Amino acid sequence: MDWSVVWEYKNLFITGVWVTFILTLVGISVGLVIGLTTGLMRLSGIGWLQIPAKVYVDIFRGTPLLLQIFFVHFAVIPTIWEDVMKLEVPDFIFSGFVALSLNAGAYIAEIFRGGIKSIDKGQMEAARSLGMSYAQAMRHIILPQAFKRMLPPLGNEFIALLKDSSLVAPIAVHDLTYAANITAKNTWERWTPYITAGVLYFMLTYLLSRVVFWLERRYSTEGEDR
Amino acid sequence: MTERIRIEGLVKNFGSTKVLKGIDLTVREREVVSLIGPSGSGKSTLLRCMNLLESVTEGKVVVGGKDLTAPDTNLDQVRTEMGMVFQQFNLFPHMRVIENITLAPIRVRKWDRERAEQKAMNLLRKVGLEEKARVYPEKLSGGQMQRVAIARALAMDPKVMLFDEPTSALDPEMIKEVLGVMKHLAREGMTMVIVTHEMGFAREVCDRVLFMDDGRIIEEGKPSELFDQPREDRTRAFLSKVL
Ligand SMILES: Nc1ncnc2c1ncn2[C@@H]1O[C@H](COP(=O)(O)OP(=O)(O)O)[C@@H](O)[C@H]1O
Ligand SMILES: [Mg+2]
Repeated sequence: MDWSVVWEYKNLFITGVWVTFILTLVGISVGLVIGLTTGLMRLSGIGWLQIPAKVYVDIFRGTPLLLQIFFVHFAVIPTIWEDVMKLEVPDFIFSGFVALSLNAGAYIAEIFRGGIKSIDKGQMEAARSLGMSYAQAMRHIILPQAFKRMLPPLGNEFIALLKDSSLVAPIAVHDLTYAANITAKNTWERWTPYITAGVLYFMLTYLLSRVVFWLERRYSTEGEDR
Repeated sequence: MTERIRIEGLVKNFGSTKVLKGIDLTVREREVVSLIGPSGSGKSTLLRCMNLLESVTEGKVVVGGKDLTAPDTNLDQVRTEMGMVFQQFNLFPHMRVIENITLAPIRVRKWDRERAEQKAMNLLRKVGLEEKARVYPEKLSGGQMQRVAIARALAMDPKVMLFDEPTSALDPEMIKEVLGVMKHLAREGMTMVIVTHEMGFAREVCDRVLFMDDGRIIEEGKPSELFDQPREDRTRAFLSKVL
C-alpha cells in the first residue's frame, strides 16, 4: 500500500471533503424547506395541494437517487438552461444541489408529516379554541412538539444524505468519492485512496451524528426542569 | 335577558351519517345549561359546533349576534370570546403552566408579557394553583390539569365557557375540586354550556338541563322538572340508568 499517492493528491481530497460538506449542507437546508412545505401540503386536506405533494414524494422515494441525479443533470438542467433560457449550463455541482435537495425534501416531507400527525388532535383544537389561527397553532403548539419527535428520524436522514451525496461522483462533481476514484485511476493504487475517503466520510458522519445527538439532548430536556 | 348563543335548525353529518338532526337552542346571557344524554347522542358534536371547531352541515349558529356560519365571519375572533374545556384537558405539554395560560393573551390579544402573567397569576390563585405556575403539566394531577385548563380558557376573558365532560377523565376525589371551580364561575355569572354526567352538579348549579338522544334534543327544562318529572319515556329510561 502506497500512502504517498494520497499525499500527492491531497488537494483533491481537501476539495472533496469541502464539496461533500457543502452538498450535504445544501441538501439538508433546502430539503428542510421543501420537506416542511410538502409535508404541510399533504396534511392540508385540500386536494389540489395534496395531490402534487403526494406525487412528488412518491416519485422521489420510489426511484433510485442515482437515476434522479442523471435525470436532473442530463435532462432537466440542460433543457431549462440551454433550450429555454439560452444560457450555458451551470457548474455540475448545481445539478448535485438540485437532485439531492429534491430527494431529501421527499423523505423529510414524510418525516414532517409523520411528526405532525403524531401530535394529538386535541392540541390543535385547544389552540384554535383560544382564538389562535391555524398558523399560530402550528408555530407555537404543533411544530415544537412534533420537532422533538422528528429529530431522531431527521438525524438518520441527514446522515443518509451525507453518504448518498457520493452518488454525484458519476456526474463529475468533485466530491470525496470522486477524489478517491480519480486518485485510484491515475496512480493505479488500489487501496489507499478508498481507505482515505472512507475514513474521511466516517469522520464527517460522526461529526454530524454528534450534532444531531446534541440537538436531541437539548430538545428532549425541554419540557422538564433543568 | 339577552341571548348569547342561538342555534337554528342545526344539522351535522359526518360523511353520510347524520349526527345532529335539527337542533334549535338558545342560551341566554349568564345562563348555565347542561347537556346530558347517552354516549354517542351528539352532545360533544353540538358543543363543538358552538365555536365551529366542527363545521356545520346545515343551519345557523349565532353567537353574540354574529352568524358563525356566514362565510365572512372571522372565526378566530369569535373563538377568543368562547372558552372551551376538554375532557382530556389538552394542556400544552411543552410549556409551563404559566405559559399555557399566557400564550393566547400574548399571541392573540397582543398583551405584553407582564400584563398576561399578572392575569395568569390571578387566575391560578382563583383555581387554587398559584404555586404550580412554573411547573410543567406532566407534574400535575388530573384535577390540577383541568383547573389549569379552565384558567387558560378564562385568560381570554371569554363571554361563554363550553365544557365537554370536564370531569369524566378524573378520579372521584379530583372531580370535586374541578366542579368547585365551575360552581364558583357559575355564581360569578359566567354563561356556561356543560356536557356532563354529574347529575348532582347539573341539578345544583344549572338553570336548565337539555336531554339529548340520537342527534336531537328530546326534552329540556329546569333541573327539578327534568330530573323529577321527566315527560318523555326516553328521558325516564336514561335517568333511571344514571341516577
Ligand atoms: N370526527 C368524527 N367522524 C365521524 N363520526 C364522528 C366523529 N365525531 C363523532 N362522530 C360520531 O357522531 C356521533 C356523536 O358523537 P358525539 O358528539 O361525540 O357524542 P357524545 O358526545 O354524545 O358521546 C357518534 O356516533 C360518533 O361516533
Ligand atoms: Mg362526548
